[in-house]
Amino acid sequence: MAAADSPSAALRRRDLCSRGIRLAGKMRADVVDLLDAYVEQQGLDASASVAAVEGVPLAAVERWDEQTGTQRLLENLAAYRAFRALLAQMLEEQREQLGEADAGLGRALAAVLLQVSAFAYHLEELLRLESRGIPGEEGDGPPPPPRLSLFEQKLRGLGVLRELAQWAVRSVRDLRQLAKPSSATGAAPGLAESP
Amino acid sequence: MFSRWNWVACGFCLVLNICSPDASGGLVQSCGHIIPESPVLALGSNFTALCILNESCLDFGNIYASQIIWKIKNRLVPKEQYREINRTVSSVTFNDTSSLATPLTCNILADGQIEQNIYGITVTVGLAPEKPKNLSCIVHQLLRFRYVMTCTWNPGRHTFLDTQFRLRYRWPEEIFPDCIPKDVNNSCTITDIQFFVNTEIWVEATNALGKAKSDPLVVDPIDIVKPLPPQNVSISSGILPTVLQLCWVNWISDAMMTLKFNIRYRIVGDTNWMEVPSEDTASPRTSFSVQGLRPYTEYIFSIRCMKEDGVGYWSDWSEEKTGITTEDQPSKGPPIWRIIDTSHSPAFWTVHLIWKALKPFEANGVILQYEVTVRDKSSLSSPVKKYNVTGTNHTLQLREGTYEVSLIARNSVGASPPSVLLIPASNSKAPVKNLRTLPKHDKLWVGWTAPNSYVLKYVIEWCLVSSSSDCIIEWQIALGDVQGIDLKGIKPFKCYLITVYPLYADGQGSGQSVKAYLKQDRPSKGPTVQTKKVGKAEAVLTWNHLTVEEQNGFIRNYTILYKTIDGNETVVTVDPSKTEYTLSSLTSDTLYTVRMMASTDNGSRTGPDFTFTTQKFGKGEIEAIVVPVCLAFLLIVLLGVLFCFNKRDLIKKHIWPIVPDPSKSNIAQWSPQVPAKHNFSSKDQMYPEGSFTDVSVVEIEADDKKSFSEQDLKPFDLLKKEKSTSEGHSSGIGGSSCMSSPRQSVSDSDEGETTQNTSSTVQYSTVVLNGYRDQTPVQVFSRSESTQPLLDSEERSEDHAGGADSTAQRQQYFRQNGGQDETNTDRPCFERTKQITHANEGDLVGFVQLQISGQSSQPLGLGMEKNTQEAAVSNVLQTCTEGQTVRPETVGENPLSVDEMPKSYLPQTVRQGGYMPQ
Repeated sequence: MAAADSPSAALRRRDLCSRGIRLAGKMRADVVDLLDAYVEQQGLDASASVAAVEGVPLAAVERWDEQTGTQRLLENLAAYRAFRALLAQMLEEQREQLGEADAGLGRALAAVLLQVSAFAYHLEELLRLESRGIPGEEGDGPPPPPRLSLFEQKLRGLGVLRELAQWAVRSVRDLRQLAKPSSATGAAPGLAESP
Repeated sequence: MFSRWNWVACGFCLVLNICSPDASGGLVQSCGHIIPESPVLALGSNFTALCILNESCLDFGNIYASQIIWKIKNRLVPKEQYREINRTVSSVTFNDTSSLATPLTCNILADGQIEQNIYGITVTVGLAPEKPKNLSCIVHQLLRFRYVMTCTWNPGRHTFLDTQFRLRYRWPEEIFPDCIPKDVNNSCTITDIQFFVNTEIWVEATNALGKAKSDPLVVDPIDIVKPLPPQNVSISSGILPTVLQLCWVNWISDAMMTLKFNIRYRIVGDTNWMEVPSEDTASPRTSFSVQGLRPYTEYIFSIRCMKEDGVGYWSDWSEEKTGITTEDQPSKGPPIWRIIDTSHSPAFWTVHLIWKALKPFEANGVILQYEVTVRDKSSLSSPVKKYNVTGTNHTLQLREGTYEVSLIARNSVGASPPSVLLIPASNSKAPVKNLRTLPKHDKLWVGWTAPNSYVLKYVIEWCLVSSSSDCIIEWQIALGDVQGIDLKGIKPFKCYLITVYPLYADGQGSGQSVKAYLKQDRPSKGPTVQTKKVGKAEAVLTWNHLTVEEQNGFIRNYTILYKTIDGNETVVTVDPSKTEYTLSSLTSDTLYTVRMMASTDNGSRTGPDFTFTTQKFGKGEIEAIVVPVCLAFLLIVLLGVLFCFNKRDLIKKHIWPIVPDPSKSNIAQWSPQVPAKHNFSSKDQMYPEGSFTDVSVVEIEADDKKSFSEQDLKPFDLLKKEKSTSEGHSSGIGGSSCMSSPRQSVSDSDEGETTQNTSSTVQYSTVVLNGYRDQTPVQVFSRSESTQPLLDSEERSEDHAGGADSTAQRQQYFRQNGGQDETNTDRPCFERTKQITHANEGDLVGFVQLQISGQSSQPLGLGMEKNTQEAAVSNVLQTCTEGQTVRPETVGENPLSVDEMPKSYLPQTVRQGGYMPQ
């Protein structure tokens, strides 16, 4: 907290929050566009229901407004680290399946992957400013997903993107909450807002 | 380059190896090599190379390091730079690599001083890269979702080496592929851009001599975006005539970047852009209503955008779109003025109402018509007249008086406020004062001092003054509170007549005028001068004024320049109003060249030269000379006429002498008895006193018809002349004396023919020696001048040389003239005396008078006895003989004595040439 008290730290924190909010917003927009392209390219139904993706915390959470800033950051960081791994796997599977046939979708996936990585970096920086230790990534990461069929891979990909879009929305709200001057890192945010 | 010299070096080695006897091991075996092999050296550094010989070559060829020589290209390196390290190694050192060149070869002087190459290397000299500076990046939006980032930097000095530049960027946890420039060394474009993450960007420059890295640039690419301008801009008219609504599409999503905008617009045809206040468009939007526009006006719009927070770059301006506002009613009435023509009758006016079309921003639409209302203020009972006009002028026929004219313009929306013009009966109000002009760039400022009374407005009229066409009036209205306006559309070098009228609420002031130029130039031609009058010492020059088109400005003065051919030029300045000038103090009878120069404020122009010559005599001088001369001449003429008049008889006789006709001579009667025989009763009367008894007279009948005329008296005059001359000439054949030799001929016509006549004339004369009637005979010659052809034979012998023609001519002459038109200036006195005998008394009186007046110095006594013919004749004869003293001469010429002379009157030639009377 000491670091957070200094003016430069406050500016840095505000800058990171602002940039993170815009990044999350752009990431959401890109993911939405990517979802449309993905559904179309993979031949899926946009309304198909997908089970929750394993390893990704749910964006929807109860008592969101009661969470502390650190909690928000930690949950976001966990989620985006998971997304980073999943998107990387999707990108690899995509390349395996289509090769260079659909470079556009691959580039869009890669761009979203970069954004997820960048957002995770923002979160880590914010946690550093909070003087909180950054949880290390699990050594071997999430357990390797079981070998799925091609269709299951497509559905999982659809689920990952949908959840990422959800998280993008939540992340914007989390960071806005954090960006408020009155918000104390450890204090619970106001009750008025909820994701 | 490098490989080429390698090949060269290998070629040298190959040659050396082939020549080498120790080639058992193989075909290629070098006798030595250089260390370092093909180095890259920093410019200005020092460098040492070693040439190492193979041991095998030492043994076989007695080649040692002391024999090594170094060469740069073909230039020998000074031996001071060599150093023999041992018997197989030689080194060479260069303190400055800038003196190096390629190749650097190691050679050896073998036996016989034969130079052989051992080895060679290429040397590359250059510089290490400098640290790249001024790194900057910009993200260009190419498509809706496509962005590229272009970074530029200053690569620094030229290194002379192959230097690689790399643009590198990374996130804290992510390193991206390097961007390697193509074909350039100062920019590179990254195509995979991720926003919202601070990215560290730097440039690395690398070559053989080192590596340099620029300062890193840490930037979120979103902060350096130059977005695409708004697309699909459309414009629609609003409800109000002063509003247009713009709509557009942003090509960048709000999620990524919110935008602010600039909107600019201008009227079509205008070049100046106006901008919507930036604070009105500082928020994201896709439409905007531009207000405060002019009705019925076409506008051009353009939009640009940038990140809302102002960090980054403005986009380019969007394509221009045009929109037009709707109509509104005219905002003001048209300016109106009048021109009154009273030329037909002062009591009836022809009033030309003229008004200006409203400007587009005043008309606010298409003017459909004008409504003119004329109210006679002199007569309240007169009805108001209304006219609907589509043009901008209207002509009225009005009786002299005061009128109020109002004008409104109407478009599809409504009517304008009325413009009112008061036309008073007379312009009796105060005019403006101190009217003046001043050029201001391309405008002409007209200023005045307002009258003391309150002025509603001013009307400024102006027109281009032309010598060839009428003044076409232009006009403008100025408000009453101004005291000067700028006139536009004024052409330079043209004269304008400007008139200002003050308009009052109850009348109009008289106009004040001034002429002005926007810009003056020197005249386009000079005046043509000529002389009106040239005198002895002065000349009056005249010229015409230049036309207003030729003046190009106000003529300030004329300058007359005149000079003689070899004299200095004299300059005279003349007032511009003059068209005539008198040059004075000129030299008489001298050629002058004069030219004339017209000057404006901006220069002068000289007209053509004109030359004139002053007169030799001044005015009156010729008259002073000529008049007296003429008068003298006239006087002389008059005297001459008077003289001639008085001597007319003498002159007549002199000019038309009476020539005797020999054919009618009575030679037969020439006998001594003739005086007695012949019964000349008349002669008896003529010689009453018998003084001429012995004179034999040849009587010519032709002369009988002719009485004594004035001409007949001429011989007497001549007789007197001979008298006077004979006093100087005692005698002489040519003396033309009546007492001369009988052979002396007497011309019947003039003196020039005297000789001819002498040869052609037969003298029928004799000398009368006898006294007449008991008087003492006087020796008198009497002769005939007959040209009777009887003497041809004699005359031919005497005058054979040319005399025949003369004779023939003379004969013909006599035939033609009959002796009437000839006057013999040497006619003998006796013949004349004979003629006198035929004269009547009156003739004699005239003769006497002539003698008195003409020769008063000879006081003869003729005039005293004019009452009697005898006395007169006697006196005449006496005078003749005495005056001419012919007697002794005649005697001398003719030695015949009185006694010897026969009594018969035979011609002289009888005695001399055997002439026989017929």
